[in-house]
Amino acid sequence: MSATPLWRRYLRFWGSDPAADVDDEFAFHVETRIDELVAQGVEPKAARDEALRGFGNIQQVKAICRVLAEERERAMRRTQWWAGWRQDLRFAIRQLFVSRVLTVVLMVTIALGIGATVAIFSVLNVVLLRPLPFSDSDRVVFVYETWRQFRQGNASVGHFHDWTEQGEVFDATSAFTRATYNLSDGEPERVSGARVTPGYFQVIQIQPVLGRYFTQADVEHGRRLVVLGHGLWQRRFAADRSLVGRTIRLNGEAHTVVGVSPPESDLLRTAPQLLTPLVFSPQERANYGMHSFTVIGKLKAGITKEAAQADMERVTRGIAQREPRSMEGRSVNVQSYEDIMLGGHRAPGYVMLTSVVIVLLIGCANVTNLLLARATARRREIAIRAAVGGGRWRIVRQLLTESLVLSIVGGTAGVGLAYIGIPLLVRYGPRNVPRLDDAALHPEVLLFALGITLLTGIVVGLAPAIRAARENLVTTLRAGGRRSLAAVGRDRLRGGLVIGEIAIAVVLVVSAGLFIRSALLLQRVPLGFVVDGVLTARLALPPERYSSDESVSDAFRRVLEYTRGVPGVQRAGASTGIPLTPGGLDAGVQVEGKPFSPGTSPSPVIRLITEDYIESIGVTLVRGRTMRASDMADGAPSVVVINERLAALAWPGEDAIGKRLSTWTREVDIPEWREVVGVVGDVRSFGPDTPPVPELFLPYTQPPALAWRAFQGSMAFVVRTADDPGALASSLRSAVREVDASLPLYNVVTMEEALQADVAAARFSTWLLSLLAATGLMLAAVGIYGVIAYFVTQRTSEIGLRLALGATPRSVLMMVVRHGATLTVAGAGIGLIAAVLATRMLTTMLFEVSTTDPPAYAMGAAGIIAVALLACAAPALRAVRVNPMQSLAEP
Amino acid sequence: MEKELLHGTLEVLILKTLSWGPMHGFGIGRWIEQLSGNELRIEEGSLYPALYRVEKKGWVEASWGVSDNQRRAKFYKLTAEGRRQLHKNADTWSSFAHAVARVLSAKQQPVS
Repeated sequence: MSATPLWRRYLRFWGSDPAADVDDEFAFHVETRIDELVAQGVEPKAARDEALRGFGNIQQVKAICRVLAEERERAMRRTQWWAGWRQDLRFAIRQLFVSRVLTVVLMVTIALGIGATVAIFSVLNVVLLRPLPFSDSDRVVFVYETWRQFRQGNASVGHFHDWTEQGEVFDATSAFTRATYNLSDGEPERVSGARVTPGYFQVIQIQPVLGRYFTQADVEHGRRLVVLGHGLWQRRFAADRSLVGRTIRLNGEAHTVVGVSPPESDLLRTAPQLLTPLVFSPQERANYGMHSFTVIGKLKAGITKEAAQADMERVTRGIAQREPRSMEGRSVNVQSYEDIMLGGHRAPGYVMLTSVVIVLLIGCANVTNLLLARATARRREIAIRAAVGGGRWRIVRQLLTESLVLSIVGGTAGVGLAYIGIPLLVRYGPRNVPRLDDAALHPEVLLFALGITLLTGIVVGLAPAIRAARENLVTTLRAGGRRSLAAVGRDRLRGGLVIGEIAIAVVLVVSAGLFIRSALLLQRVPLGFVVDGVLTARLALPPERYSSDESVSDAFRRVLEYTRGVPGVQRAGASTGIPLTPGGLDAGVQVEGKPFSPGTSPSPVIRLITEDYIESIGVTLVRGRTMRASDMADGAPSVVVINERLAALAWPGEDAIGKRLSTWTREVDIPEWREVVGVVGDVRSFGPDTPPVPELFLPYTQPPALAWRAFQGSMAFVVRTADDPGALASSLRSAVREVDASLPLYNVVTMEEALQADVAAARFSTWLLSLLAATGLMLAAVGIYGVIAYFVTQRTSEIGLRLALGATPRSVLMMVVRHGATLTVAGAGIGLIAAVLATRMLTTMLFEVSTTDPPAYAMGAAGIIAVALLACAAPALRAVRVNPMQSLAEP
Repeated sequence: MEKELLHGTLEVLILKTLSWGPMHGFGIGRWIEQLSGNELRIEEGSLYPALYRVEKKGWVEASWGVSDNQRRAKFYKLTAEGRRQLHKNADTWSSFAHAVARVLSAKQQPVS
């Protein structure tokens, strides 16, 4: 291989000196010449002058030669340096082939650890680390109205208007509200979208892929325009580029397509796919009481979030002076867009990354231990290398090269595993994580992979390398490569590594235990409604064709009549809002005989329901009665059913039945009294992990003013059956078709599916963390096994001697188990204490489980003790079976 | 250009000299002078830089040894690469030198 002969490396043992060489060489030349001239009879002095003459300016010539010699020296050293690495590399690769089984075990461990870490990092990279896809995204904020303890409330049009007009910190602002549209032209479909003021496109600045966005000028002419989301454009319109300028029918009205937004703007899979203009009338602008819009703004360059908060507080104080009644208990809250979009995913993301790095570290501890064991076996070879002049650094370098080769091959395989694993994470990952779909082996992920691969190589190789460099040559060679006193220290290091890996494995298992406990508790939370055998589906009646309250309730009544006739349907009802579906409107409630105050009076979620809804969803009746068909009749008295929480707020300690309340009135200050006829049980409407809120149910035939518009003319059907609820979907669809064939039925899900979706994120975290904990535990077991097996091997002759001298197999067994138990107990103890500190970061992700939850800690301890016992079993049995004669006869 | 030409010439001559065996700087200079029938006088001020240049190029390598007069001397030896360079350049140089000689010994003005 080498172009540099080996001897040249030792050419100058103490380093070279080009200057001295040049001097010596020239001196030789001059003296030889003088000798020659003197022999010819020239005067010595004249001879010297003659000899020097040929050199001209001799100092200058020397300088030239010195420079040339130094340059050559440097080039040679470089070549040698590389040749040295090449030699190390060749040797390292040869070493890997010597013990193939060991090499495979090491590489698989590294590949799994790095693969898992890279896969998780790739997700974190797209979800959390990449900037949001629009320009100056760090300047975009949400502006919320706060109300009592609620920090992220919607704003009224009046607020939005004043904030925009009087605020001094924004380049642009926008108000928007989520809306859904019936898309006809072909198979009717319900599509989620948003109504946005044109400022939206100045706040969220991202180039359209097609056409343009609508502007203030467009909107002032009251034209019906729409911007399509990229996903919808591709799916429904086959990415038709000629769509711009054409019209599509939304809620039965023709809307002109002006543009298509780019795919990056769909941060969520549920991103709005239809954006239509939102315009406010002068009356609306004077409204400070209806809080239904989300407000975003783009800060001027250099304005901090705190400055914006102060400015908004200033404007809001002005509103409070003019509108004291609407503003009771209300204030303003500015939050960064990124925090709102991504904030909730940071903790789970970093918990996952930490966990997977822990697994990698446990793997590294095992690899280091195995390398240490191998270094022990190679002590003779290394000692000889040192003896023939391989310096300590040279030996360290050799061993580091070996571990780097291991980690690079393992890391490459790991990247391959990540390539397979990332699509699985994307597929089974929770659906509410923004940008999760983009996860892939991006360049920054590969760079990360390279970084941890090299780091792994150095981390696993450093301890064996340093140890080998410290080796005492004489003792090792004299002991013939067998156990020496130094080996005791080595055992201590290996023991320490195992204790360390047990400790972090315990932290991981305890964390997984906490998640599992949390998931179990979540499952056991009484929801207050029935999940089994329930199908839900939503229907919205476009206001253009269903303009009167009567036409709306009539259509829903007829669909329900058809549905009740379907075989297998036990009960059917409908409500504007059902559990586990986001959304719902709340309104202040005035209790008869008590003064009304927007700041302190109860503000329940308002739901319009049909008769039989409460029975269909399985909410329990506590007092009085539920809604009857007679309540729905024309001219029936105004009645209301409330839940226990609202009853407790409105009439604490009293019976609510027969009492009267007023809500959502036509005119402020003119109550419209409704009599409470029933109190029903509380329901966890927002999922098992969110406490119940006060709720108020009205007959759908007695809607408050403009209520159907507020509810977007939509109700959710709830159908109970004894059979498979999913099978009823088509019957429900045909019931809708009987009434109006142009209407799409949407959000068709069984309650079971809705519940699964709600807990999916928590379940995914639990599942992933459990998997990582199991892997960590398994790796720790491998580590314990390695050390104990080595312990037995090293003591084979000692054990043989003991047995020969009459020790019982039981005492030998105990000796081995005691060694394993010492390591395990030490590791578990440290791990349990570390877990108390480390699991604090999990607090926000846990449901009603303390981070010092005893069962989780018991699980951590029991898990590690169980695997440790298993890991000790085989070496312990091997120790018992040692044949004394044989073990003593062997050298 | 002239200097380059000279450098090149001297380097080829050094390689040629060393093709007979290792030699120190003094001997190399002496050999070249003798072979040229004492026509060429090699200045030491040119010889040594040329030697260091060819050593840097890896065409020759040096080691310390003892000379005929029992002094410590630096001996140069042709490397495999140096031998290749010698073959490559010797032909070029002799045809060049031949051409120069023909021009200088021309008796007639070229026809234009």
